[in-house]
Amino acid sequence: MPDVSDTPAPELDDDVLVAVRDLSTRFFTEEGQVNAVENASFEVRDNEVLGIVGESGSGKSVTALSLIDLVDSPGEITGGEVWYRDAELAAEFAGSDAVVGDHVDLQRVPATVRRSLRGSSFSMIFQDPMSSLNPSVTVGEQIAEAVEVQRRAKGNPRRTRSRTQGYGLGRLLVDTLVPTRSYADEESRARAVELLEQVGIPDPADRADEYPHQFSGGMLQRAMIAQALAGEPDVLIADEPTTALDVTIQAQILDILRELQESGETSVVMITHDLGVIARMCDRVGVMYAGEIVERGRLADVFDDPVHPYTRGLLGSVPDLEDPSTRLQPIEGNVPSLLDREMPEGCYFADRCPKAMEDCRQPVPEYDTGTASDEHAVQCVLAEREYDPAVALDGRDETGDEVVPSE
Amino acid sequence: MSQGRFVAKRVFQGVGVVWGVVSIVFVLRFVTPGSAINAVAPLDADQETRQAIARELGLDQPLHVQYGDYLVSLLQGDMGFSYVRGQEVATLVFSKLPATVELALAATVVAIGLSIPLGVVSATRRNQPVDWLATLFSLGGISTPNFWLGIMLILLLAVQFDIFQTSGRAVAAVEVAAAVVGPAPFVDRLQAWLAHITLPAVALGTYFMALVTRLTRSGMLDELGKPYVRAARAKGLPEVVVRYKHALRNTLIPVITVLGLQLGTLIGGAVITEAVFSWPGLGTLVIDSINLRDWPVLQGSLIVIGTSFVLVNIFVDVVYSALDPRVVND
Amino acid sequence: MLSDRVRRNLASEFRGSILAKLGVVLVLLVVFVAIFAPFVAPHDPTTQSLDNAERPPLGIVQTEQRTTSEMVDGEVQTVTETVTIRPDAAHPLGTDGLGRDMLSRVIYGARTSLIVGVLGTVLAATVGVPVGLIAGYYRGRIDDGLMRFADVSLAFPSLVLAIALIGLWGRASVAVPDPFVAAGFAQEMPETFVLPGTVIVVVGVVNWVWFARIARGEALSLRDQEYVTAARALGADDSRIIAGHVLPNAITPIIVLGTVQVAAIILLESSLSFLGFSGTTLSWGFDISQGRDYVSSGQWWIAGMPGLAIMVAVIGINLIGDWLRDALDPGIEGEGGA
Repeated sequence: MPDVSDTPAPELDDDVLVAVRDLSTRFFTEEGQVNAVENASFEVRDNEVLGIVGESGSGKSVTALSLIDLVDSPGEITGGEVWYRDAELAAEFAGSDAVVGDHVDLQRVPATVRRSLRGSSFSMIFQDPMSSLNPSVTVGEQIAEAVEVQRRAKGNPRRTRSRTQGYGLGRLLVDTLVPTRSYADEESRARAVELLEQVGIPDPADRADEYPHQFSGGMLQRAMIAQALAGEPDVLIADEPTTALDVTIQAQILDILRELQESGETSVVMITHDLGVIARMCDRVGVMYAGEIVERGRLADVFDDPVHPYTRGLLGSVPDLEDPSTRLQPIEGNVPSLLDREMPEGCYFADRCPKAMEDCRQPVPEYDTGTASDEHAVQCVLAEREYDPAVALDGRDETGDEVVPSE
Repeated sequence: MSQGRFVAKRVFQGVGVVWGVVSIVFVLRFVTPGSAINAVAPLDADQETRQAIARELGLDQPLHVQYGDYLVSLLQGDMGFSYVRGQEVATLVFSKLPATVELALAATVVAIGLSIPLGVVSATRRNQPVDWLATLFSLGGISTPNFWLGIMLILLLAVQFDIFQTSGRAVAAVEVAAAVVGPAPFVDRLQAWLAHITLPAVALGTYFMALVTRLTRSGMLDELGKPYVRAARAKGLPEVVVRYKHALRNTLIPVITVLGLQLGTLIGGAVITEAVFSWPGLGTLVIDSINLRDWPVLQGSLIVIGTSFVLVNIFVDVVYSALDPRVVND
Repeated sequence: MLSDRVRRNLASEFRGSILAKLGVVLVLLVVFVAIFAPFVAPHDPTTQSLDNAERPPLGIVQTEQRTTSEMVDGEVQTVTETVTIRPDAAHPLGTDGLGRDMLSRVIYGARTSLIVGVLGTVLAATVGVPVGLIAGYYRGRIDDGLMRFADVSLAFPSLVLAIALIGLWGRASVAVPDPFVAAGFAQEMPETFVLPGTVIVVVGVVNWVWFARIARGEALSLRDQEYVTAARALGADDSRIIAGHVLPNAITPIIVLGTVQVAAIILLESSLSFLGFSGTTLSWGFDISQGRDYVSSGQWWIAGMPGLAIMVAVIGINLIGDWLRDALDPGIEGEGGA
C-alpha cells in the first residue's frame, strides 16, 4: 500500500470528480527501476475535458493506466492518492481514512473494489482500435460483453467484487462447450446495437455481427467508444484516440467525444502528443515531462501564458499559421532516461532548459500562479522569480533564450 | 464465403490428396525390386501363381489401362488379394482399423484433455513451481521415444506393480458402451478395457501432450501480452472470461494448425505403440506384412492410413474455421 | 550470413538462459562421444561373453531364480537355485543378454544416431529448401503443383512411409572403416563402422516437406521486398536473386527447423531400428528392442540405458532449438517435424 500517512486530507471542491495527488508509478525491470510517473497531481472536474499532453515516453499513458489500476507487472503504483467522488462508495467505507466527504481514495480501498470500477466509473479507449479488439469475436458481441458486465455488477455488487466476479469456472465450461451460449444475453446485445447507433455507425444491427477486420479504422474507433460507454462511466480516458487515424476521421472522432462531454454525462481525459487536439478539445490541460506534470491549468492560461520553459518550448515548436516566417524553436537535447539511477536530483528539464539556474539542481516544488478560483500550477522556479543570468547554469546565454551546446 | 462452402472446398481438396495417395501407392508397385509381380506375389510362389498374378494385374496391358483398372477396383472396394494370408485385403485391413482408431482417439483425448489446462495454468502462473514442472515435463515428453516409454511403463506399472496389462486388447470400446445396459458386465468390461488401453494410450499420447502443453503455454503468453487483452480488462471483464474466452480461444487457433500437421506423428506413433503392446491394429498389420512380404496388404494399409489422415485433417480444418472467422470470411 | 545483430541476440539469449547452456553441454557431450567413440568406450561393443551376460549396472545387485534340469540316476530332476549376479566395475552400465558392455554400446550408438540425424537432415534440407524457394518465388502453377505433391507426401505419417520404403527397398548399409582404428589407435575396437545408407536416404526423403514449407513461406514474403524488386530492376537473373537475396534472409527459420529435425530424425531412426528396419545393429533403438524381453524379469538396464541416452541427446538438441528460436525470432513456428 502506498505511504500516505504524511499527507493531509485534501480539500476538494464539489465539482471535482477525480483528484490525483502525488501519484507515482514505477517499473521494476531487469535493467533497473524506471520511474514512469513521479508525483503527478491533477484534477478532473465534472463535465469537462482534461488534456494531458507530452512527448512519447513522458509517462502519459502509464498515468492513464494507473488511474484504472491496469498497470502490468513489473510495474506498480508506488505512491499517491486517487480521490474519486462517489457517494455510495463513500458511505460504504465511511469512517476509514480513505474517505473525505463524498470522495474516496481509491489507493486505500481493496483491489477488488478498484477492479469493479472499471467500465462502470472509469472507461478507456486506446490508440489502435484494430489491435484493441479481439479479432475473432464480433464487434457486437464485444460491446455486449461490456454492457453485460456492468449489468451484472449493478445487480449484485458483492459478487462482482469477488475474485471471479460472479463468473465461475463451471459456467465458463458450460459456455465454452455449448457454443450457442454467449457471455452476454439478448438484452445486452440489443443495447450494444443501440450504442453503435449512438456513435454514428450506419446499419448498426448488421455491423454488430461483423468482425473487427471488416471495419475501417474510423468506424472501429467509434465502436470502441460505444464499448467504452456501455457502463455509463463518469470518466472516459482516451489514450491517443486519433493518432492512428486519417486527419478527416480524427475530426469526426473528436467531435463525438466532445458531444459526449457536452451532453453532461461524462468527463473526458484526453491523452495526446498533438497540441492541435488539445487546443480544440480541452478545457484544462496538464503538461507532462519525464513522468512529472510540469504545468497545469485552464487551457487559456497555459497556452497563452506558459510559465514552464518546457511548455513554452512545446508551444514554440508548432508552426504558426498566422505568422509563418517566425523561426521554429526546437528544444535542444533529448528526452532523459527514466531509469531511477540515471535521473538527477532536481528538475529533470534543467539540462535542456535555457533558463536553468542553480536552484534548479534542487527538487522543485509546485507553485500556483493562478487565481483563487482557477489553479495554474507550475513546477518551476520561474513561477516565483525572474530568470537571473548570474546564477544560471553553464551554457545558458544572457537572454535565457537558448542553450549553448556544451560540447 | 460461408462455412459450408469452406467445408466443401476442403473436401474437394481432400479428394485430390487421396487421389495422389492412391497414385503414389500404385507407383510404389513398380519401384519394388524385381518386377511388379514381386510387389504382389509371395517369395515362394510357384510359376503358376505368378502367371495368374501377372494376368490379374494386367501387366501386359499399357500402363494407363492398368492404372484405370486399379482406380476402378479401388472405388469398388477391392484392394486386391493377399496370397500370403489367403484373404481379401480390404476385409483384412478394415477389420484392423477400429483398433487403431480406438487407440489413437484415446491417446488424443488424454493428451489434449490434460495438456491444454496445463499449458494455460503454466502461462498464467509463469515462473512459479507449476510452470517449471510443466516445462520440464513437456521438454522430457517431446524427447522421449514413445516405444521406450511404453516399455518403461510396462516395467513399472505392469511388472513391478501389476496394475495394467501389457499386451493385447481384450475388449473393444464399443463393447464397453454396449454393456451400459447391465451394470455387472459393464464394470467388468470397463475394467478390462481400461486395463488394456491405458498404458498404450499414455505411451502414445505423451509426445502429443508435451507438444500441446508447450504450444499452449507459449501461445497464451503471447496472447496475454496483446493490446486487446488489456482493453478487455479495461472494460471490466472478469479475469476468467478474459483468459479463456478471449486469450485461450485465439491461442488455440495456431495450436490446432500444428496439431493437424502433427497428427502424422500420432498415427506413426500408433504403429510403434501397437508393436510394443501387441495391440492388434493397422500398425501391427503393416509391420507383419513387411516381414511376411505381403505387399498387397501393405499397399492397402497405406491407402487406408493416408485416406484417414486426410479425413482427420479436413475435420481439423473445420474446427479451425469455427474458431477463426477470418479464414471463412475472406 | 549471420548479421552482427543476430550474433548479439544469440549471445545475450545464451548468457541469460541456464537451459541453453545445458543444451549445449549435452549436445557437445554426445558429439564428442560419437566422434571419439573408440577412445571413450571401455570395450568393443560387439564382443560377446556369455559368462558375463545380464550383469547389472553398478550399485544394483540382481537376484535370479535359475532352474536347471539334470539327469540324475536316469531321472530328470529340476533344480532351482538362487543366483546372485553382482555388478562389475569393468561394466559400469551392465551388460546385455549376450554379455556385451552396455556403456560401449551406448557410446557407439551415439555415432549411429548422430550420423543418421545429421545426414538425414542435410539431405532433407538439400531437397526441401530449393523446392520450397522455387515454389514460393515463382508461385503460380509451379507452386500449386509442388504443394500438391507436398500435401500428398504429408498424408503418409513419416514413420509409416519410412517403414514402407525400407520394406520395399531393403536395408542396404555400408561398412566404413573407422578412421581412428585405421590410423593405429584403439586397436581392440571394431575396424569398421556400419553406415545404414537406406535409412539415411529414407529419413531424408520422408522429411523434405517441412523444409520446403518453411522455405516457401519465406520466399513468399520475401519476394515482395523492395530489395528484390530493386535487384530485378538491375537485371539480376532469378537464380541469383533467390540464392543471393532470398536465401540469406530465409536462413534463420531454416536453421531453427534444422535443429528440430535432427531431434525428430534421431527419434525416427530409433523407432526404425527398434522395429528391426535399420541396416545396423549398433543402434540405441535396436538395443531397446533386444532389452524388451528382459524387462519382465526385472533386468531393466538393457532397454533402459539406451533410452536414457536418446533422451539426453534429444533434450539437448531441443534446448538448443529453443535457444535459437528465442534468440533469432520468437515468432517462428518451430514445431514442424515428425
